[in-house]
Parts: sequence; C-alpha cells; structure tokens
Amino acid sequence: MIETTILTWIITIFGAITFFPLFGAQLVMIFNPKGQKAKDLIIGKGADWRDRTHFKSALAFAWADIIIILPLLILGTALVLSGQEWGYIIWISLGVLSIYFSILFWIMEKEYTYKLAGWLAYYTYFWGFFLYWGIGAIVFSTIQIINH
Amino acid sequence: MNYLKKNNRYPLGIWIAIVTLILIFLAWLMQAYSLLDWEAAVDLGVQNERFTGDAAERAIADVERGVAIADIVWALPLTIVAFVGLLRKKYIGFITALMVFAICVYFPLFYLFRESMDTETVLAAVLLWAIPSLLGIVGLWVNRGFFNSN
Repeated sequence: MIETTILTWIITIFGAITFFPLFGAQLVMIFNPKGQKAKDLIIGKGADWRDRTHFKSALAFAWADIIIILPLLILGTALVLSGQEWGYIIWISLGVLSIYFSILFWIMEKEYTYKLAGWLAYYTYFWGFFLYWGIGAIVFSTIQIINH
Repeated sequence: MNYLKKNNRYPLGIWIAIVTLILIFLAWLMQAYSLLDWEAAVDLGVQNERFTGDAAERAIADVERGVAIADIVWALPLTIVAFVGLLRKKYIGFITALMVFAICVYFPLFYLFRESMDTETVLAAVLLWAIPSLLGIVGLWVNRGFFNSN
C-alpha cells in the first residue's frame, strides 16, 4: 500500500479539473459531431477548410480519448486513492500521453488556438493544464513508487 | 499464463515486449525519415498528406508532422530507455515500456477513427503497433514480479 498524501489529492483534483471538461466536449463531439456546439467547443470558428480538416482529427481524438484516456484516468485514480502501485503506473502512462499531446498540439494548433483563446486561457485550461498535469503526475508517481 | 513466464534468459512475456519495442523503433525510424524528407516519405507511403497540396491537405499534413515531431522528441527517447531497461532487467525499463505501449495503443486507435486515413495505414498501425503493444502490456503485467526483484 502506498500512502495517500495531500499531493495525491491535489493531483487527483487537478486531473479532474483538467480532463473532465475535455471529456464533456469530446462526448458532444461523438454524439453530435456536425452540430454547432461541437464546432464551437472543439473545432473552433475558423475558415471553412479549417473546420473540415480539424473535424477529421477532432472526431478521432474524441473517440480515442473516451475509449482509452477516460477509463485509464478513472481506473488509475481509483487505484492511486486505494494505495495501489498500479494506479501510479497508470498515472505515469497517462502523464506520458498528456505530454505527448501537448507537444503535438503545440505544433499543429498553437497558431490557431493561441490567437482564439489568448495567452491566459491557452497556458491554462486550453493547453497548459495538460502539460502541467502530465509532468506533475509523472514526477509525483515516480517518487511515490521509489519511496514505496 | 504460466507459459508467458517460462524462458531461460527472459520470460516469454518480456520477449514479446522487447520484440514489440523493436517494431516500434521501426515506426520512429519512419517518422524521422519523414521529418528529414516529407515529400519522399509521402511517395513511399509512410505519410499520407503533402505540404504542397491545398489548404485542407496542408492542415492534415500539419497534424501528421506534429505526430512525427512528438514521436521523435518524446516517444523515441522513452523507447530507448525502455529497450535498454528491459534488456538489463531494470524496473525503469518495465515502467517506460508501459509508457511507450500506452502511446502505441492510443495512436492506432486515433487513426482507426480518422476519416482521412487509408485502410492499409490503419491496418499496419493496428497490426504492427497496437496489438503487439497490448500483448506487451500483458506480457509485462504477468512478469511484473521479475522486475521487482531486479
């Protein structure tokens, strides 16, 4: 058993704040991909070509997130809170994916989303939180496993 | 799953993970080649979209280039650590291999749901990376005790 600390709760709550709005938007995308809400939340209000191209990627990300990221986040957090080492290993894997997406979206999207959202939103809930959570989850989980 | 644990040097489950990492190295090799010469990579069928096409094609090429850069700056170093770590029977190899397998299960799934991908690319991604990565995760899970004692 790995002890649950105040940092465990901080990363858990930060993870929920970071990922659950995304999952909400992804569910909108899956259930009504052509709708205006999906367009506003995920694809952005850009030129027509941008809407068409980003639609193809956004729907794929939505399905992959709901099938892989959501169950892993719930399972990993449940295992972490019950003191299981495997929970931390799942958090590390999610952290790796989160950093991976941060790099990917920095390259493919920053020129659009940064202008659309502004620096504060971009470096927080639009993009930054995913990077910060990924780094935090990896560092914290590694320390917990090593000290175990 | 005892058969996954039986082998002289490494248990079968670890061998599966090692072979999967070699397959994944091939993917990163293709991504590195794409970044060096994108148009040649499209001609070879390694990438789908060109930067010389219309705005829509360029935007999708941007996504593919983003994936390629993320693979090289983040996933490739992890794969090297995982490979060396598994060969040396270190716990860090076990952890990083799981990280790499998580990426390699996620992305074929992303390709599967992306409308613009051709069937051959999707099949290759699923057969060469997603399924072996899932087997690698199972192989490592079954043999997790092997790393706790190393």
